[in-house]
Amino acid sequence: MFCEKAVELVRELHRMSDGQLPAFNEDGIRQVLEEMKALYEQNQSDVNEAKTEGKSELIPSIKFRHCCLLRNQRCITAYLYDRLLRIRALRWEYGSVLPTTIRFHMCAEEVEWFNQYKKSLASYMRSLGGEEGLDITQDMKPPKSLYIEVRCLKDHGEFEIDDGTVILLKKNSQHFLPRWKCEQLIRQGVLEHVIS
Amino acid sequence: RTMADALSDAGDLSGGEGSQDDVMTPAELIARLEEAWLNEKFSPELLESKSELVECVMEQLTHMEENLQRVRKGDLKASVHHMEIGRIRYVLSSYLRSRLQKIEKFFPHVLEKEKSRADGDPSFLSPEEFAFAKEYLANTEVYLKAVALRHMPPNLQSIDMLKAIPEPCLDSFVFLRVKERQEKILVEPETDEQREYVVDLEEGSQHLMRYRTIAPLVANGAVQLI
Amino acid sequence: MDTRSYMPVPPGVGTEENVFSLDDILLSQERLPCRTESVFPGLGFVDKSSDSRHIPEGTKMEIPLWLAKGLYERKRRVISVELPRVYREGWRTVFGADANVVDLHTMGPYYYGLGSQMLHFDSPENSEIAQCVLQTFIGRFRRTMDSSQNAYNEDTSVLVEKLDCLERALFRAGQSGLNAFQLWEKGLASHLTASSLVTNYRKRKLADLQA
Repeated sequence: MFCEKAVELVRELHRMSDGQLPAFNEDGIRQVLEEMKALYEQNQSDVNEAKTEGKSELIPSIKFRHCCLLRNQRCITAYLYDRLLRIRALRWEYGSVLPTTIRFHMCAEEVEWFNQYKKSLASYMRSLGGEEGLDITQDMKPPKSLYIEVRCLKDHGEFEIDDGTVILLKKNSQHFLPRWKCEQLIRQGVLEHVIS
Repeated sequence: RTMADALSDAGDLSGGEGSQDDVMTPAELIARLEEAWLNEKFSPELLESKSELVECVMEQLTHMEENLQRVRKGDLKASVHHMEIGRIRYVLSSYLRSRLQKIEKFFPHVLEKEKSRADGDPSFLSPEEFAFAKEYLANTEVYLKAVALRHMPPNLQSIDMLKAIPEPCLDSFVFLRVKERQEKILVEPETDEQREYVVDLEEGSQHLMRYRTIAPLVANGAVQLI
Repeated sequence: MDTRSYMPVPPGVGTEENVFSLDDILLSQERLPCRTESVFPGLGFVDKSSDSRHIPEGTKMEIPLWLAKGLYERKRRVISVELPRVYREGWRTVFGADANVVDLHTMGPYYYGLGSQMLHFDSPENSEIAQCVLQTFIGRFRRTMDSSQNAYNEDTSVLVEKLDCLERALFRAGQSGLNAFQLWEKGLASHLTASSLVTNYRKRKLADLQA
């Protein structure tokens, strides 16, 4: 049956329902595009025959193949669009620099899309209010306290707090830090919010 | 007014009526922000842009931060003020995030609506959001084209984004509180056996209704989504 | 909360399908019993049970919903679509008796979705199908809701086992509401945590290493 490869692409993403980004399936896409080419060529020749020789009995098969073409198109674009939604999520969860393991899963055009998205988001945020703008990827949860206790889960190096003090984030060290400075590092899994 | 007054007012997020006066106290400003935030959070569609409100709140935040610089370090007051700033920044960010999320989710429809807007009608997008939405559409179209569409047969090289991206579902149900009494609101039937009927919405009462039914009341501020 | 950043395109509402919804694409992969009402020249290989060059008129075969929808036309009929068993009268009677005992996952898992989609095909039984699908949903909703609200910190796999996809989504929504409420009650709503995406990537990396 036609369109099996295309649905396989969709299943691949559907299985990872938490939003992780599997490796870009270039080979899968190529195979679907090849099937489309074959379907289209067969239809072209049937359409010609139907026109020149008045063979209207070919119409059901032409229609059949056209449905398959549309289905393939839908599956591929849905696959690609869903990947964009996952890549978008990465910007919000990781910040603007992605770990290499994830970048390896993206095709060149996806990296380009991600860079454009970053740029659009940054210029939007810069445009808010004063000179510096407002970083709306921070403050994801309502603040309860100004300072929080955090434990360092891995070596991260030096880290500057508001007032210019620099502290060293060493694995297993514990600190009492301004909440809003830590949010991103906690999301990235560098720090852990300790609840007393 | 002392800074402390302004700040503690501003920090009172429990609501209150927005006044129509030109001069708004910080407390009123924050109450307005909170209303806009909850409405935006709970309505399925993008609401009217409130750029001016956002600007005022940003100014207020800058102002508060500047004042804080003058307070002695270690002063207990300072941490209370820090806290207030954090809370306002959270509400503001969350508000802007909900809007951006909807713009990304419905971008072709949002842009279409903006295109067909009559002169003088209020805009649904701030200039910055409009720029963002246009870039998002262009970026996404370029991407789909480059990776796949241009390799497809000639008659399949484009897709209608307006058809491909779903529209906001105005039939979803929302909770609301009535701020101004409403008479004779027409409610559509839920089943074939039911007929349409009218209800009066008493001030202060709370309801669960189809968003479509009360969308105009959200827009004119007669009800508050909760 | 606006903390979950990946928000997939949701399935369409009612008889609508969303083009980019992965769920809808998989729903439209469900197979329907059909009968060809004309010859399909040169497509014989599609029907694996025969080795003819063409698909003759009157062939009974199963085709996916997306193809049935694409080929179906009222004026120029090239296929006719039959009702899958679960929507026929016999099963409708079973659902009418007690919808709660039916395993909708095995029978579906897109019982409601496919049922709504069947309305595209102008069956004379359409209104009975619609009625049955709706009543089944109403009849089971209470149980789905209660079980999702009463299962805290326990294995829910048995509870969702017999649920249709739509019901599972509702169950999960109920669970996430319940969990958020419990966190709030314990005063943990403002607890900052690592992004679940980040954590899951790490888990997978670990698994890759061990493999």
